[in-house]
Amino acid sequence: MNSKQLVLDAISGKKTERTPWVPFCGVHAASLLGVSAEEYLKSADLMIAGLNKAIALYKPDGIPVIFDLQLEAEAFGCGLHWNMDNPPSVVSHPLAGEKTRIDDLTRLSETAGRIPQVIKVIQTLRKQHPDIALYGLITGPFTLALHLLGTDIFMQMFDDTDAVHRLLDFCAETGKVMSRIMLENGCDVVAVVDPMTSQIGPDQFEEFCTDPMRKLFDYICEKGGKSSLFVCGHAQKNIEVMCDVHCDNISIDENIPLDYVRDICREKGVSFGGNMQLTVVMLLGDEATNKINALECLDIGGDTGFILSPGCDIPFAVPPENIIAAGAVAQSRDEQEIARQLASAARGPEVEKFDLVDYVEADKLKIDVITLDSLGCAPCQYMVAAAEQVAREFGPKVVVREHKVKTAEGIRMMVSLGVSNVPTLCMDKEIVFVSSIPGNKALADAMRERLRQKLKK
Amino acid sequence: MADLQKIKDAIMSGKREEVTSLVQAGIDAGDNAVEILEGGMIPAMREIGDKFSRNEVYVPQMLIAARAMQAGLALIEPALVSSGHQPLGKVCIGTVKGDLHDIGKNLVAIMLKGAGYQVIDLGVNCDVNKYDEGIKQGATIIACSALLTTTMPYMKEVVEHFKDTDVKIIIGGAPVTQNYADQIGAHGYSDDANGAVKLVDVLFKKSA
Repeated sequence: MNSKQLVLDAISGKKTERTPWVPFCGVHAASLLGVSAEEYLKSADLMIAGLNKAIALYKPDGIPVIFDLQLEAEAFGCGLHWNMDNPPSVVSHPLAGEKTRIDDLTRLSETAGRIPQVIKVIQTLRKQHPDIALYGLITGPFTLALHLLGTDIFMQMFDDTDAVHRLLDFCAETGKVMSRIMLENGCDVVAVVDPMTSQIGPDQFEEFCTDPMRKLFDYICEKGGKSSLFVCGHAQKNIEVMCDVHCDNISIDENIPLDYVRDICREKGVSFGGNMQLTVVMLLGDEATNKINALECLDIGGDTGFILSPGCDIPFAVPPENIIAAGAVAQSRDEQEIARQLASAARGPEVEKFDLVDYVEADKLKIDVITLDSLGCAPCQYMVAAAEQVAREFGPKVVVREHKVKTAEGIRMMVSLGVSNVPTLCMDKEIVFVSSIPGNKALADAMRERLRQKLKK
Repeated sequence: MADLQKIKDAIMSGKREEVTSLVQAGIDAGDNAVEILEGGMIPAMREIGDKFSRNEVYVPQMLIAARAMQAGLALIEPALVSSGHQPLGKVCIGTVKGDLHDIGKNLVAIMLKGAGYQVIDLGVNCDVNKYDEGIKQGATIIACSALLTTTMPYMKEVVEHFKDTDVKIIIGGAPVTQNYADQIGAHGYSDDANGAVKLVDVLFKKSA
């Protein structure tokens, strides 16, 4: 089954052969190109290049074409402050004050603001990657209303409820236009991103948001698209009412426990996604913590109606290897097993390292291959076999040992050598080959060079 | 004597006009402004803050309560000033350098004011020099806010800048965690506005 179908099946609540992986890669793709968020978000060519790079690195089953909740706001005349390493921020609100009213705003169309650029990105990506699910992200009605009116909306929810209803209807209509554009140009899923709803409670969500959102999600369904409602922040209290807006899927961040969302969504017949930790794990953690966190999400989410993704837009400076590590866990059972070993090592009492001070010997080259288990993991098997085969050329001068991380000894050796990927091949304590199996020549050259250095001494 | 319970109830339900008329009635009757403040207004904001922490009310309800309190406060302020009434303490607050988001910061400022503290609002995009200005104006606690993962690391610079002083730094915002606060050596972290008030209460008690 191809990646796109995997995502569509999971969004529809079906059991899938594995959990799909959708990294929400917005301005992070700019960092892959070494350009600023502003340059990236203002150029279709850079977005296409960045997304292609992200697709090559992260092997996603689905990916958003753009993650910029200021796109519609800008087209309506909100002032933006552009950032080097973040999406822009809205700094002025056309409906704040008395001067502009809703009727004065020009309705959005294919030609407004940066929308032509986004269309080009969708069309190009669609042609280049027919098998990946493309997400078209649009600004949710409440968040767009807040962009247009500013925080006065919170007061108006008491002072002038009719005006707030009118504004949210207008924003939902805008959402329909954006959804149509996304779907007609090649997106498979429309994700309605409405983080500001986390600031209101379920009563006000129902009073102001439920109806406009239902109209929007019904429209996406009529147009043949799948839909998701993204929230972030402390929105736990709203999950139940969010399930009633006719969306196919709900995606949340780390502020809400995933098992809580799973239980409510399953009861309501809505699929769900999330919620890898953006800062502590993805931005500040390492490969091992990312693997463990991905596994935690997979263990809770399971393989029915669940999509593994970061909690929200991946921060600009997340190290790519962290995202690669998380994606690998989603897509490989061997990687899940490795993550499980890492998790148990991290949970248990601190692993006591071997004393390797005198490990290196003057007349022998020691090859240590850290594996899951060469009997059950194909890459591990090939790496061990290659090492043993090439070592034979050198006779007793090269010693090859396998350390299985399923054993206590293997875990200790892994930690002692500073290894976090399996399989990894070390020569005299030094990590030399990680994950990919070296060719016999490369392996022989590496062994020969190290022996030559030793004998010279 | 003004009906303090009624003032409290009116503030908690955000009824600005009712608060105005109740407080005005109290003033007309010669009531003590400090009693109105400490017996009606501050308890109202403390209680709405607790309800917020318990997920019984949300941001809009807090904002209209604060607006109602401000309406009453404006009426008693002259009397408070002339009586020499002192705030519980001075706190300066600002969103860190590079970050222009202010909803969370404003909420914390509102709740601190409602709890009886004087708040010096430094606005957004604050570097250490701006926080220094707040300290020069008499604040002893700095509250730093950040919404962005990329601006959050500036909090560490703020902590470093004030590390050899008596200034206390508290931090908050969507990406911030207690873990992060511990990592950078901040004096406190809260995940909501009411928690920030409690944190400030504790820090002032410790320093008293």
